[in-house]
Amino acid sequence: MSDLEYNEEKVLALASKGDRDAFGQLYEQYVERIFNYVYYRTGNPHDAEDLTARVFQRAMNHIKNYTDRGVPFSAWLYRIAHNLVANWHRDRSRKQEIPIDDLPILPAKGDHPERNLVRTQEQEALLRMIRKLPPERQNLLILKFVENMSNAEIGRIMGRSEGAVKSLYHRTLLALRDQLEGQNLNLEGE
Amino acid sequence: MTKRKTNPTHEENLDAIEAHLAGTLKPVTPSNDIVQRLRDRIQFPSRDEITLRLSDWRRLFFVFSGVMSGMLLLITIARAFYYLVGRRSAT
Repeated sequence: MSDLEYNEEKVLALASKGDRDAFGQLYEQYVERIFNYVYYRTGNPHDAEDLTARVFQRAMNHIKNYTDRGVPFSAWLYRIAHNLVANWHRDRSRKQEIPIDDLPILPAKGDHPERNLVRTQEQEALLRMIRKLPPERQNLLILKFVENMSNAEIGRIMGRSEGAVKSLYHRTLLALRDQLEGQNLNLEGE
Repeated sequence: MTKRKTNPTHEENLDAIEAHLAGTLKPVTPSNDIVQRLRDRIQFPSRDEITLRLSDWRRLFFVFSGVMSGMLLLITIARAFYYLVGRRSAT
């Protein structure tokens, strides 16, 4: 693990000097994670692709600023992604476009297609609810479940303490439960 | 003093929601096409970056002075060549 961290430090040092190959390695390391995050926040693979490209372009243009701040590189990337997604939502609301509530289901890792089909309706209902939550709660759920991050790691990305993340998570679950009860939706057990 | 009781159904509800969140929010795999297209977009400078580079006066200054120096060098070589050829043909 320490070897990997050391490598990342080296790669970051090279990338911050303008080495494109080094930045390419960072891209390979994080592209799926950033794409996942943006995909769940936008609900659309096309916009997710465009925004993911912009995240990495912005990161490449400002990577020198990163080295001065001392936060993990992943946290820095997620913050860029968060800001771009926030701008995207703001622009969309200004343009009064048709809101996308239906998140197309891309194949999840290790899922059987028939199992996906059975769960699509439940998933869509739950995803619609998640996308109506405030942005920071959406971030929390994506980082926790999609990225499998601990509360401490999420805290570093969101700029909150571990306890604050835990508390926000509990309140988010309660909010979802209330919404489910309000809509008389009953999620059957697995 | 009243003792607060934890409601088992309340906890069960939250556990069920957590289980469904885990089943719904799964990592997705972007297609190879998407990853390749993104890689292509990132390897080459974007239009924004080119605009940024052009607005960078220091970079512009170096480019301009490089071009001028190159032109001056070419003119000097051409003049020297013309002078040498002219002298030879005169003799």
